[in-house]
Amino acid sequence: MNTRIIAKLDVKPPYVVKPVHFEGLRKMGKPSELAKKYYDQGADELFYIDIVSSLYQRKILSEGISETASELLIPFAVGGGVNSIDDFSKMFHMGADKVVINTYAVQQDPNIINKAAAVFGSQAVVVNIEAKKWHQNWECYTDCGRIQSGKDVMEWVKEVEQRGAGEILLQSVDTDGRRRGFDIELSKEVVKSVDIPVVVASGAGSLEDIKVLIETASPSGVAIASLLHYDQVTIQDIKNYLKNSGIMVSL
Amino acid sequence: MSNIIGIVNYGISGNIHSVKNAIERAGGDTLIINSTSDFGDVDKIVIPGVGSFKGAMQGLENDGFIDLLKEFDKPILGICLGMQILSEIGFEFGKTKGLGLLNAEVKPILCNEKIPHMGFNKIQVVHSNKVLKGLEAEEFYFMHSYEVVNYTDISALTKYGNHDFVSAIHKGNLYGVQFHPEKSREAGIKLLSNFIQLKVN
Repeated sequence: MNTRIIAKLDVKPPYVVKPVHFEGLRKMGKPSELAKKYYDQGADELFYIDIVSSLYQRKILSEGISETASELLIPFAVGGGVNSIDDFSKMFHMGADKVVINTYAVQQDPNIINKAAAVFGSQAVVVNIEAKKWHQNWECYTDCGRIQSGKDVMEWVKEVEQRGAGEILLQSVDTDGRRRGFDIELSKEVVKSVDIPVVVASGAGSLEDIKVLIETASPSGVAIASLLHYDQVTIQDIKNYLKNSGIMVSL
Repeated sequence: MSNIIGIVNYGISGNIHSVKNAIERAGGDTLIINSTSDFGDVDKIVIPGVGSFKGAMQGLENDGFIDLLKEFDKPILGICLGMQILSEIGFEFGKTKGLGLLNAEVKPILCNEKIPHMGFNKIQVVHSNKVLKGLEAEEFYFMHSYEVVNYTDISALTKYGNHDFVSAIHKGNLYGVQFHPEKSREAGIKLLSNFIQLKVN
């Protein structure tokens, strides 16, 4: 099976920003423009995460989402501040194919995963994990890496799978935005723990980082943000490099 | 002659807008079918696929669409779940009766790989049809946990792990694809264009 190469837009409306350790933001461009650029470069999918809506306790801002969706003939996942079935519905109507949830499910009510899977199908429900290492384990964080939950990542991923999540977006608070490589151990453990697809994000600094991640942890997909935003490499570069390294990707 | 593509809107779920956008990009005129009276205004029907087998059949029943779909004698294209519900029976969230237009059952994908099967994957054409014409070597986007089990109307298969499942069907006026043409770049637009250009008898 092809490993999916996914472009991830971390959005603080109205801009795509580049967080470092989920803090300190730099403006990188408009979501619709970057989405179109990465689509043209050959991205298999696009993730759009409003990284401040949970923290500010407001609903995700719809401006920009419909505009971004209409440009794309690939799957589009949207997240940020989702806390009801109605929010899921609204995002699908804005053009999302999948909805990403974290904070509400962790802090308030994990049953929202069951409900959403029953209504929209598991394939449309993505659970975002923000993991931070603590001794020999990893703990789930929320609100963009700011708030500890006390939940153990390996237990939580099994629980969300049981509840009907169709996919996991795995982010690491430790490696995010630093461009020094992924948290390989974390990725390996999570991929092994569940039977649903795992998309790994946080840490791509070079083509080799991506190759090493795929070869050692076998995620279903890799989500790339910073590396693309600086125009150092394109999605096409990544895919060509992986293909030449013997890794299956969709060209 | 008119050539309006009706898109069946059933229930609360789903992104039918992406299907509408893609059909329009492929050059088709669309009409969202929201009520039984809309059926008379369309020349072809696309059944998009979002939600679960059970939820979809309930939605179609609540809207009074089941008999109208069964009786529709012009081309129908089922996408993903929209193809699955053409079958006799589905097993998602319990056993549910489908539209029964296809001699098939819908069961969990039979393999040891990660489920749902998500991503671009190849199709291997077994019996080509007009909708798949020129697309034999293309990859399409899949996003599903269930598969159609059918032996008589297979147009294409797709390999996931060591398992081949049915990725496209054709029977008379019925066409079905397990993948999402509206999420499959230009290849998907070409497929929709093929469907739009089918001649109606």
